[in-house]
Amino acid sequence: MQATLTIKLARVAIVIATFALWELLSRTGLANPRLLPSASDTLATLGDLLQRSSVRTDLLVTATEVLTAFALAVPMGALIGFLIAENRYFADVAKPLLFFAFSIPKSIFLPMFILVFGVGFAQKVGFGFFSTIFIVIMSTTTAVESVKAEHLTVARSYGATRAQTAFRVYLPSMLPVLLEALRISMIFNLTGVILAEMYASRDGIGHQIATWGENFQMKQLLAGVVMVAAIAMTFNELIRWVETRCSHWRT
Amino acid sequence: MSAKTLRHLIVVGLLVLWELLPRAGLIPELFLPSLSSTLLAGWNEAAEYGHALAVTLYEVAVSMAFACGGGILLGAIVGSLPRPRLLIMPMVSSLYAVPLVILYPVFTVWLGIGSESKIAFASIYGFLPTMLATAAGIQTIDPQLLLAARSMGATLSQRLVRVIIPAAIPTVLSGLRIGGALVIVGVVVSEMLISSAGIGYLISRYRTILDSPHVFAGVLLVLFMAIAFNTAIRWVERKAAIWQTGTRAGQGAADEVGSGTMQPAT
Repeated sequence: MQATLTIKLARVAIVIATFALWELLSRTGLANPRLLPSASDTLATLGDLLQRSSVRTDLLVTATEVLTAFALAVPMGALIGFLIAENRYFADVAKPLLFFAFSIPKSIFLPMFILVFGVGFAQKVGFGFFSTIFIVIMSTTTAVESVKAEHLTVARSYGATRAQTAFRVYLPSMLPVLLEALRISMIFNLTGVILAEMYASRDGIGHQIATWGENFQMKQLLAGVVMVAAIAMTFNELIRWVETRCSHWRT
Repeated sequence: MSAKTLRHLIVVGLLVLWELLPRAGLIPELFLPSLSSTLLAGWNEAAEYGHALAVTLYEVAVSMAFACGGGILLGAIVGSLPRPRLLIMPMVSSLYAVPLVILYPVFTVWLGIGSESKIAFASIYGFLPTMLATAAGIQTIDPQLLLAARSMGATLSQRLVRVIIPAAIPTVLSGLRIGGALVIVGVVVSEMLISSAGIGYLISRYRTILDSPHVFAGVLLVLFMAIAFNTAIRWVERKAAIWQTGTRAGQGAADEVGSGTMQPAT
């Protein structure tokens, strides 16, 4: 207990030290304050930005795009992954193809989405979907494979119904893997949507960040970076916390 | 029909569809130009693409040296000392969640729109996975090997050269594979966003004037680059497999790196 507390304190210290170094570099003029505004200025700007309705609209737009893409990609990817994993022949045929599709960079297909969907909502959702679905398929396949054959045999020989097998055997063994899959696919999804917004867009937080960068508004730019990073990390930690909660189901 | 022939049939079928559907007018040429017109577009502008490829390859090579050199060095330090590992690893995997693309505008402000900003961005993009993989690889070396070496009186340098490095090579290589692929992505993406040279720039420029065949030719070129790199590292991996002395945990870590649970988004 003592050790974990020390480690936690040390981690907080590292974060504080990073911010302090940032503040110092800018204050002492070692780094040009116009290129690197101090940490306190940036955080103050962040507070200002959150008050602005335009920034809030941008955040809302991005959140809608991310959630829509997520809501489309996860069930569909899970379904495809499940079908592939349950059928040996399908798995033999499709797995190498999927591995290949998974290993090629998705970002370079972004221009295609603009050619097809334009620069609106559909393009962001489409690209977010595209960058997420492969990882969901792959993780679902892994999750299904993590269900132990003995457990299934036992359930079947005790005469479990289909629903019982699904809820009592499949779900508990798959849940930890699936939660991790959710966390990772959210990272992919967010990156995809923000990249699409930065590349060509009229609204969204990614577009806003790109614009600040082009206009040399360093304070706003850094505040935006801190904001997106904080949101992404918070979501990540949240799911990880649920993951540790569910880990006693891991078999 | 065996799975393999069916798979080959699917690939061939997709290629044929790519040629036929746009020709038959079922998909507009703007959305998907046919395979032949894409290849023709690439062939006709071969000099321009070749020049862009040279710029991109130069940026990839420099960033790869930074990302992999730094990643392996830091990963080795973090992996071999238990304290920094406990301290830093959770923080690093938390950093993983941040979409790194948002850092690119910062680099363009600091370093301009030339090669420097691409190199800086791509190095950071490929750094984390290489570092994590190396740390995992070092961490999972069979302790018995080290014990045996020490009890036979091996010096530190001998242990490093004869035990630690060979045992860590497989994991490090799979880290390199992913890190290197990300470096390629990082360079091309940053060229697509803001730049004045390189393949990503060509893709973006042709996209702006809605010249799909040329866009697709550029995309194909990047794809070939990524696949060629991947194949090359896999070949080295197979050659290095004789050093595979790690524990099963080490193999697990290598698989985890390879399977994408540790792969950041592209």
